[in-house]
Amino acid sequence: MKEKLVSLETALAPITSGASITLGGSLLRRQPNAAVRHLIQRGVRDLTVLTWAGTTAIDMLAAADAVKRWEGIYVGMFNYGLAPNFRRAVQDGKIEVRDFSETAFTARLRAAAQGLPFLPIRTLLGSDIAAKNPEQIKPFDCPFTGRKLQAIAAADTEFTIIHGYAGDKYGNVQWPLVRDTDDMDQPMAAAAKRLIVTVEKIIPHEEIKAEPARTYIPGAWVEAIVEVPYGAHPVACDAIYDEDDAAIRDYLAASRTGEGAEEWLDRHARNPADHAAYLDLFGGAEALARLNLARGAA
Amino acid sequence: MTYTNNELITAFLARQIRDDDMCFVGVGTNGRAFTLAVGIPLAAVRLAQMNHAPGAAVYWGNLLEPDLSVIPDIFTQDAFTRWQAASCPPDTGTKCDMLMRRRFDVSFNSAAQIDRFGNLNITAIGDYRAPNVRLVGSLAQPEHLAFVRRPYLVCDLDKRTFVEKVDFITSVGYLHGGNSRLEAGLDEGGPQLVVTDKAIFDFEPTSKAMRLSSLHPGVTLEEVRDLMSLQPIIPETIPTTPEPTESEVAAIRNDIDPNRVLLKV
Repeated sequence: MKEKLVSLETALAPITSGASITLGGSLLRRQPNAAVRHLIQRGVRDLTVLTWAGTTAIDMLAAADAVKRWEGIYVGMFNYGLAPNFRRAVQDGKIEVRDFSETAFTARLRAAAQGLPFLPIRTLLGSDIAAKNPEQIKPFDCPFTGRKLQAIAAADTEFTIIHGYAGDKYGNVQWPLVRDTDDMDQPMAAAAKRLIVTVEKIIPHEEIKAEPARTYIPGAWVEAIVEVPYGAHPVACDAIYDEDDAAIRDYLAASRTGEGAEEWLDRHARNPADHAAYLDLFGGAEALARLNLARGAA
Repeated sequence: MTYTNNELITAFLARQIRDDDMCFVGVGTNGRAFTLAVGIPLAAVRLAQMNHAPGAAVYWGNLLEPDLSVIPDIFTQDAFTRWQAASCPPDTGTKCDMLMRRRFDVSFNSAAQIDRFGNLNITAIGDYRAPNVRLVGSLAQPEHLAFVRRPYLVCDLDKRTFVEKVDFITSVGYLHGGNSRLEAGLDEGGPQLVVTDKAIFDFEPTSKAMRLSSLHPGVTLEEVRDLMSLQPIIPETIPTTPEPTESEVAAIRNDIDPNRVLLKV
């Protein structure tokens, strides 16, 4: 097995301006926020970004004016309302959007995982989601029944970034037995071309081997793995720590204006030397332990 | 007997649930939107389970048949993670498959805009490319309206919400009315009822246009008309929405939502 454990800097170095990336996580869980802050620090721009239910990660990228195009099922802040920076950027015409419903986006990931150019659905017949996207959603007749179907173009990003629970130095990533499964991280991993995974904790390969059924991202699919504790902060890594309500509210308060969001990005993404320095803004890992959950995953 | 408007709607929706119905409830948002999308639907299915539909099941988030006798009263991530359920499929793709195979009987949906033919918009107000308000996108709402057998739309009456034509059809109801939903390639189905804080609406079987079905006790037709930018079909005689019974109200207050989390606002 090949060792793939590297620094965040090394793992993300291949991602440059103009790249296309798929971001994992869903709602307030496992958004790859540490990785995204690093991309913002580097000044990467003009990204095409695919998400499932995106919140903080895509909104921070929008605040940094780093997104050229977004494709996905949702961008918002879950129980905190709309995503302020994404909303502003789309309304200002800075981000081109292509909406996909959940079965449509699932078809895109599964097609990519199977090496197919498309998979059919019939969800979006009559919907403006299809009408506004003739390049990626094409009507055709079923060759067996003649019924109307829609071909949904495969997801086709150069990179995929996922934040996971725990993994080994070979890139094998495991989930805990009790977790929130309302996401598409595993199908995203299966669909990925170049997969970069950040995890809360690197654990010995012996622990992985003992319970291989918990490995949802096999190391064979992974290009680089990075240990990033609290890597989803300020959102939750379910089963390990809860969302940081105060930090989310602080981000949203700053994001009422574009200038406020810029200042927030300076303080939290551009100025801190590294992820540890970011955590220090919140008192470091010791203080953040207040978010930890009794039943840890790793 | 006194009851709140939320209790009236909850009891009304509970009576629409049939035994063995598979019901989809969203996970959504906060404040009044939470009450409409999550609180009232969860309370309604639980009330149906307790009364006439013990086999009714809920799919919530990615939990299949969560235990509705112990609905969490703090909605943080960890409360979702630890909510006990019969099944927690490995990813959301399972739910997508169940939707496309039409395994769901009921869904509860709300939207920023609803039009005369029950089409919904949760994507953008104004022009799609440069909107006045960019909303959340679509989630699985197009699936609910396309495949669920009996979607119930749960929204407060408001001129901005009830419009002649939605700015963007996120989810197809009856499209342009008549047979247009079927002609577009979708199956029979479409929204069953629109349940609001003032009145209930259905869709006239031939034209598929929204039609007033009942007014809640004490609400006038003028009041309802003033809160809509579209003109619904008005029947010659207008029934009154049935009030909740004493035992329904007691079950909601004492057993289902004792801490007033679901029906808070």
